[in-house]
Amino acid sequence: MALLRVLKKGAAAAALSYKQLLVIWVVSLIMILFVSFPLRVMLNAVFGNSMAVMRLTDGFDAGLLGDVGKPFLYLISAASTGGLLLLLAGFLLYTFFAGGLFASYTTAWGGLKMTAFIRESARNFLPFLKVNLLILLIIAGYTLIVLGIPVAARMALAKGSMPEGGSMILFYSIWLLGLPLWLFVADASRRWIAATGSDKAFRAMGAGFRALKERFWVSYGTVLLILIINALFIFISFWYLACSIPEKGGLIFLFLIVTQIMFFIRLFMKAWRYASVCEAVR
Amino acid sequence: MKRFVIAVCLSLPLALAGQVIVDTPLSARLTGYDIDAILEPDSHVVSGDMRAWWVNNSAQPVRDVMMHMYLNAFSSNKSTFARGGRWSPAGDDGWGWVRIESMVDAKGQDLTDSMRYVSPDDGNEYDRTVLQVVLPEPVQPGDTLVLKISFESKLPSPIVRTGYADDFHFVAQWFPKFGVYETAGTRDRESDGWNCHQFHPSSEFYSNHSVYNVTVKLPEEYVVGSGGMFMEELALGEGMKKVVWRAEDIVDFAWTAWPGYQVMTRNWRDVDITFLASEKGIRKADQQFEAVIYALEYLDDRVGPYPWPHLTFVDPPMSGQGAGGMEYTTLFTTSGGGLFPSFIRMPEMVTIHEFGHAYFMGILASNEFEEPWIDEGINSYWEQRIVDDSYGDGYGLLRLPFIKLSDADQGRMVYVSSRSQTISTNDLPSWMYPHGTYSMMSYNKAATWLHTLEGIITTETMDNVFREYYRRWAFRHPSGRDFIAVVNDVVRSEHGNRFGEDMNWFFDQVLYGHEVCDYMVSGITSNKIRSYSGVIDGDSVTYVKSDRKSDTLYLSRVSLERPGGLILPVEVLIGFDDGSEIIETWDGKAAWKDFEYTGTSKAVWVKVDPDDKIDLDVNRVNNSWSSDQEFPAARRMAKKFIFLMQIMISLITV
Repeated sequence: MALLRVLKKGAAAAALSYKQLLVIWVVSLIMILFVSFPLRVMLNAVFGNSMAVMRLTDGFDAGLLGDVGKPFLYLISAASTGGLLLLLAGFLLYTFFAGGLFASYTTAWGGLKMTAFIRESARNFLPFLKVNLLILLIIAGYTLIVLGIPVAARMALAKGSMPEGGSMILFYSIWLLGLPLWLFVADASRRWIAATGSDKAFRAMGAGFRALKERFWVSYGTVLLILIINALFIFISFWYLACSIPEKGGLIFLFLIVTQIMFFIRLFMKAWRYASVCEAVR
Repeated sequence: MKRFVIAVCLSLPLALAGQVIVDTPLSARLTGYDIDAILEPDSHVVSGDMRAWWVNNSAQPVRDVMMHMYLNAFSSNKSTFARGGRWSPAGDDGWGWVRIESMVDAKGQDLTDSMRYVSPDDGNEYDRTVLQVVLPEPVQPGDTLVLKISFESKLPSPIVRTGYADDFHFVAQWFPKFGVYETAGTRDRESDGWNCHQFHPSSEFYSNHSVYNVTVKLPEEYVVGSGGMFMEELALGEGMKKVVWRAEDIVDFAWTAWPGYQVMTRNWRDVDITFLASEKGIRKADQQFEAVIYALEYLDDRVGPYPWPHLTFVDPPMSGQGAGGMEYTTLFTTSGGGLFPSFIRMPEMVTIHEFGHAYFMGILASNEFEEPWIDEGINSYWEQRIVDDSYGDGYGLLRLPFIKLSDADQGRMVYVSSRSQTISTNDLPSWMYPHGTYSMMSYNKAATWLHTLEGIITTETMDNVFREYYRRWAFRHPSGRDFIAVVNDVVRSEHGNRFGEDMNWFFDQVLYGHEVCDYMVSGITSNKIRSYSGVIDGDSVTYVKSDRKSDTLYLSRVSLERPGGLILPVEVLIGFDDGSEIIETWDGKAAWKDFEYTGTSKAVWVKVDPDDKIDLDVNRVNNSWSSDQEFPAARRMAKKFIFLMQIMISLITV
């Protein structure tokens, strides 16, 4: 029951912060457009007035690569570099806005005014960045221990071939089941920073671990359940992204609308996790 | 000598007289080998006693024989093969070699002092891959030379087609083997002589169709497979066993032994198909058998019958992948069966390709050294047809909702994206292609122009070309000129003079020339034809205002260019704004061509080679032009990029 109460209150708080989520959505969309628009222009320039572009109509025909030649390599290079820069910028942007969201769920029940939201985002940015980097390091080490070492050992035994089978499924399962722990610690640490106004990342991490210990099952269960729902949603998103091939202008616009709604839902679910953890720790 | 020959003929065993596998000999059977060998797995050595025979089918006495000693390619770092940079040994135990310990003729005369290594291709004094044996007495026309040879073969590591990896052994090019004695006229040859090339990094093989009786002794835990038909297996005691195979009318005999093999068998018509693979590879057995059967049916139907009742193929384990992707007619190796997800048909493609070699150089035994295009190019062409026809709507190699790739496009892509398209003609010997272009030229360019030939003469005629090629040349040694003669005959009989006197104009450009093919649309203009205005009449000038509303006719000009030097006839499809279409033919001889149309509708788009028949065209992007610049695909891809980035950013952020 406690778990359901936490999830319900978390969802309510996340829903109350819809304005902040809209801001995050708009800013991130504009940021990505800065890269995607030139890419589209470049793609049009590569094909010029050629009808060869119709070979992309029902999926990408890789046979075109040889015809397009070097311009396509430049396009791929630009898309890859642009994509990496976007990931970096996006990481910083989301870290920034997470400061405002946690402040919102810690002090104002999601109802923070926009100016306060931006101010809290700015105030919390550096300590949140430290916490994020620390938790990414912890997850990397955890991955190395739980997955990397068994895979390397089994590859050595199997003379270079990738291991598979039941035992690897076990290791993957352990890795997945452990992930909510670190995400809870990250969220609880950031909640502590938002609540106390401190900028001490390591103390915040300590608070995060203490919070996990104090209400382990509720904390763990909350994040695990939200993560499962998130994973399903992301699977559906990728499936839709891969399989949807709108061919005409109107359908392409509809595709844009649908994907942006899906992304907003994804933002909401992330906020739901933040708010639920804040509620669980409260 | 005559009495000796008679004696030899009378004593020739089953190998000469008996028919075990096929009812009548498929080939002339000028060579044969009875081999009794033992595999020592710890030292990776195969020791053997061999009785080899060769029939002089020429009209001249022959005073020497030439033999392949191809394992010696791995015997030093100065062999022609090793100098090519493809191989270095895995430690001191990695070297490979074949040594003749004794060689006597049927009279018991010792020939070991008459042996010497020669290097007919490059004069490399360190290369020991071709052996010349000067005979004490010449072999008279029609006589049979019998040699008794004791040899020892050490397998190399790492494996390049042949060799060992731990307890996995793939035993190919492992015994002294006759070259091909070609008579004048064979493959455009001017005089009789041996054709026996050194082992090069970029070359495969050339041999006579032979009969093999092979016995191998080895530890009983080893699972074996070969290009021969399994005759019997006997336990010898002390952990050893003996396996006996016989093969008829195949150009090479290879075998493999590994304790880890899993074996599965299937039947297709009267052919027993055996598949050997690792535990991982055997899981893909259904897909692999399906691929082999697709290829069997396809080639049986369109080229000619597969004549043997047996076929074995192998997916080597990871450690032995160097043996993968190779052909020995009734035995071939595939690769990667357990490595790729099922939607990527790469292992099936390799399987189909290597099986195809049973036809293209197995049955139609061309010279892979001197004319690699005629086996690799033709075989790649058929592989691409089979893969694309069998695995899904023309996109056989990869077909997912968001990305697709046909096997023919994959091969064509290698050619059209190469910067060395014009580096040489396509008829060079395999080791003469410069700058590492052997593969691109022999496989990809040749397959691409064969698809183009199919586009020009139609698929039906192309199939008839190959049926006739098989009928004339099965179990013989055709050359490129022989293939062209078949094309000319079949095209003439089916199309008359539609393409000219013959198709030499095509081969002169694509095989014996090095130009590229590129057609281009430079643009479309459509202007209203105005009524007459601005009349000058004697000294007086009268201005007559045009009645623009009555101007209803357009002059549309479609401008085409041929930037490439290769000339092929091409179709041009022109579309008008009222929905009508016109198809034109351009002979492509001039450097440019304008098509003009007068009418009430405007030309709005044009496609050169609308059905993509001319695969040789190195740039299809410039083959079309449309006045409508609406690019839904580009817009869709941009929207997908946006969503992908949004999801990815949300994923990497804690």
